[in-house]
Amino acid sequence: MALLECRNLTKRFGALVAVDDVTLDIQEGEIHAVIGPNGAGKSTFFNLVTGMLSPTAGTVRFAGEDITGLPAQVIAQRGIARTFQLTHLMPGLTARENVRLAAQARDPARWHILGGSQVLARASEAADRALERLHISQHAESLASALSHGDQRLLEIAMALAQDARLLMLDEPTQGWSIEETDRAVEILRGVLAGGGVTVMLVEHDMEVVFKLADKIAVLHQGRIIADDKPEVVRADKVVQDAYLGGFD
Amino acid sequence: MQPRELIGLLIALGVGAALPLVLPVYMIGIVTEALIFGLFAMSLDLMVGYTRLESFGHAAAYGLGAYAAALILLNLDVPMLAAIPAAMLITGLIAIPIAWVCTRSSGVSFAMLTLAFAQLLYASVYQFKDFSGGSDGIAGIQRRAGPFGIDFFQTRNGYLYLVLIVLALAYVFCRHLVTSPFGQVLAGIRENEVKTRALGYNTRSYRMAIVVIAYALGGLAGALYAPLAGFASPELFFWRLSGMVLIMVIVGGRGTLAGPILGGAFFLFLEHELSALPYVRELWPIIFGSIFIAVILFAPQGLAGIISGWRHRNSQPAAADDTSSAETPHGAA
Repeated sequence: MALLECRNLTKRFGALVAVDDVTLDIQEGEIHAVIGPNGAGKSTFFNLVTGMLSPTAGTVRFAGEDITGLPAQVIAQRGIARTFQLTHLMPGLTARENVRLAAQARDPARWHILGGSQVLARASEAADRALERLHISQHAESLASALSHGDQRLLEIAMALAQDARLLMLDEPTQGWSIEETDRAVEILRGVLAGGGVTVMLVEHDMEVVFKLADKIAVLHQGRIIADDKPEVVRADKVVQDAYLGGFD
Repeated sequence: MQPRELIGLLIALGVGAALPLVLPVYMIGIVTEALIFGLFAMSLDLMVGYTRLESFGHAAAYGLGAYAAALILLNLDVPMLAAIPAAMLITGLIAIPIAWVCTRSSGVSFAMLTLAFAQLLYASVYQFKDFSGGSDGIAGIQRRAGPFGIDFFQTRNGYLYLVLIVLALAYVFCRHLVTSPFGQVLAGIRENEVKTRALGYNTRSYRMAIVVIAYALGGLAGALYAPLAGFASPELFFWRLSGMVLIMVIVGGRGTLAGPILGGAFFLFLEHELSALPYVRELWPIIFGSIFIAVILFAPQGLAGIISGWRHRNSQPAAADDTSSAETPHGAA
C-alpha cells in the first residue's frame, strides 16, 4: 500500500480545470517529484493534498485513511508537513521559536495554558536538532525576518522536519534562490533526505534539482499527469520532452 | 517567571501596599479605580498585543462583569468576595458564543463584530429596564462582608489592597499564559495564522479560547469596579470605553502586559486629576488625543517600549544597532 494515494483528483475553478483526474501514488521512503510548467496545476494539486483546497472530485488517502477535504490543521496532525512556495514564517519570532512552534504541534500536552515548560523544553531540543540538520544553527537566536532569503527557505524546511511528519511536502524549495544558494541547498537537502525514513513529495521548477534529488518524477501538464516514472525514463520520454523539458533543458 | 520579573512584581506590590500611607485619603478611590482600569487594559492586551485580535468592543467585558457583580450583590445574599469571581465566570460564559461568532472573521471584521456585540449589550440594558435599571443603571450596590466575617476588604484601604492582590494574581496568570506552549501558538497566530494552521494547530479554537479568557479578565475588572463605585451604568458598555481601553493598550505598549497596566492606570488617573481643574476639563480630550498621536508617531512600542529602550541603552552603552528588530516581514502575507 502506498503512503499517499490520490485517485482521480479534480479541481475546477469555474470553467478552468486546474487539476484534471490526477491519480498518483507515493510510496513510503521515496522522494517523488512533481514537475510541470507554470500553470500546470502543481500548486493546486499540492493544496488539494494538504487541505488548503477541497477537490471537486476524487479522493486522497494517507496511510490507508481517507483524508479528502479535511481541514489543513487536521491533515497536518495526521502527519503531513508542508512548506509554502512563498516563504511562510513567523517573522517576529526567532528561528528557534519558529521551529519550536512546529515541534510542539503534535505534543499531546500542547494545550497547556499555564506552565508546560517541559513541552517547550522537548520542543526546543527538537528545534535545535532540526536547525542543525539544515545547517542554520548559527541563526537560532535571530529573528526569522532578519535571515537571508535562502536561510528562510531552509528554516521553513527545518520547521517541516521538526513536525516529525511521515510525509514531507516541499513546494518549490529552491524558488527564488541564486545558483550558488541552490547548489548549497541541494547538498543540504540531499544530506537530510539521505538519512532515510522520510517520504518526500517535491514540487519543483528547477530540473537540475529534481534530477539530483528525486527517485521518481511525475510530470503535470495542463492539469494532467503525462508521465510518472524513474528520472531517466522521464527524461527520455518523447511526450514529456515535447510538452516541457525541451523548453528548459 | 524570571527572577527579575518576580522582583519587579514584589517592588510594585510593596509600592502599592505603601500607597494608603502616603496618599491623601481622597485619592485612594481614584488610585483604586486606576488599578482596576490597568487590569482591564491588560486583559485586552492578551487579544491585541499577543494574538493581534484588535477588539473595538472590550467594554462588553467590563460592562458584563460590572452588571453581573451588581445584580448578584443586589439580589443574592452572598459576600462580595464570592460575587466578584462569580461575575468573572459569568462574563467568561457569555463570552463563549460572542467569541464563537467573532472568531469566524479576523482583522477589521473581527473588530466590527466585537463592537457590534458591545453595542448590542448597551442597547439591551435600555431594553430590559426591569432587570438592568435602564438608563438609571443599578445603584446601591453593597460591599457585603464575609465569608467567615472577613470585613477588611470593605474599607477604603482594604478595597485598594483587594484590587492590588487581584491585579498581581492576574498579572502572574497572564505572564504564565503568554510564555506557555499555548502562548507560543498565540504568537504564531499573531505572526502568521495560515502557517500556524498548516503546522497542525486549530487556530480558531485558540483564538476563541483567548477571547473568552480576555473577556473573563475584563469582566473581573468590571466586577471590581461596580462595588467600588457603588453603581453600574450603561456607559460601561459604550464604545467610548472600548476605544479608550484600546488606546491605553497601544499607548502603554501592546504585547507587554505591564505596559497596558501602566497606560490604563496612568491615563485614568491623569484624566481624573486634570478634569478637576477648571478650563482643563474641556481640553482633556485634546490632550489625550495629542498624546495618542505622539505615541503612534514617535514611540510605536508605547511607554513600555520607551522604558525598555532606556534600560537597553543604559545597560549596553556601546551596543551596536539592533538591526534585527527593524526588518519587515519577508514574503509572509
